[in-house]
Amino acid sequence: MGLQDSIARDTVSELPIREVITLPATCTVRQAMRRMRARRLGCVIAVDEQGKPVGKFTERLLMRLLVNEAGGLDQPIAKFMYADASAVSLSTPLAKLVEQMQSRHLRFMCVVNEQGKAVGLTGQKGLMEYIAEHFPRAVLVQRMKPFLALDEREGA
Amino acid sequence: MTLRPQRKPVLDAAEEFVDPLKNYAQREYSDDLERSLAEDLPVDVMTTQPAKTVSTDTTVGDVMRMMVDLNIACVLVTDNDRLVGVFSERDVLLKVADQYDKVRDCPISLVMTHEPLVAYADDPVGKALNLMAVAGVRHVPIVDVDGKVVGIVGPRRVIDYLGKHLGQ
Repeated sequence: MGLQDSIARDTVSELPIREVITLPATCTVRQAMRRMRARRLGCVIAVDEQGKPVGKFTERLLMRLLVNEAGGLDQPIAKFMYADASAVSLSTPLAKLVEQMQSRHLRFMCVVNEQGKAVGLTGQKGLMEYIAEHFPRAVLVQRMKPFLALDEREGA
Repeated sequence: MTLRPQRKPVLDAAEEFVDPLKNYAQREYSDDLERSLAEDLPVDVMTTQPAKTVSTDTTVGDVMRMMVDLNIACVLVTDNDRLVGVFSERDVLLKVADQYDKVRDCPISLVMTHEPLVAYADDPVGKALNLMAVAGVRHVPIVDVDGKVVGIVGPRRVIDYLGKHLGQ
């Protein structure tokens, strides 16, 4: 079965799912930033008392805030976050996920369980890993090192 | 006058030439997406432009302002047209965010990621995706043999590429 067929057949449950950072929307940007840095994750999901997603704060919003809003770090994330957490369930088809990410320019997708509670995070990185896993022959044998161009050309 | 020794013909009259590529089997792929990943070049099948570049002495504040205005997640840092680093939203989170006032007027070379992983202009799309998946980088600069930037592959462009192959 080819990669195109796999994507057409599989669901979000086949993607690598990362542990999600959840915070109440009343948390400050500084608190969210520290959690994102500690986990090296580009997004936190704001949740209500039941753990259901109510918004999303990303590193892009953080950069905008630093440039445009002096003193914004000590304000609640609710003031700046996206109101839509871009939730998908584990049974969402991968093709639909790709479609949503493409049409809405999304990087992170919050994975929710049957009760609508945030249980994980996936997105662009998850998709890249999925492709690498399903396409090992050409992907895994590639050299991987920093750019090391010679200052002078080799040879005579 | 000296006589040159007569050269032996490459093939004897009775010997038949055998094409060394006669039994070459062309690689087969399950579908067009797999073929494209293995054979197509990013510059041919993906949007690799524009790739925004800045010089090493541009200030952190100016670079971030530009990224916000252009709504981009990454810039490439060059020195004499040669790629020397990248600066992305992740660098903002990890190195700049909690000391923005201190580093705003510093050169971008202070906080950029040095020696970034790159793909060459003649590497297939699969190479760029490999770097993203295995090394965990989100943006892969595409350079020529002299280290000059010819484009960039980022997640949004990869998603667009996948969408095209899935008929979306």
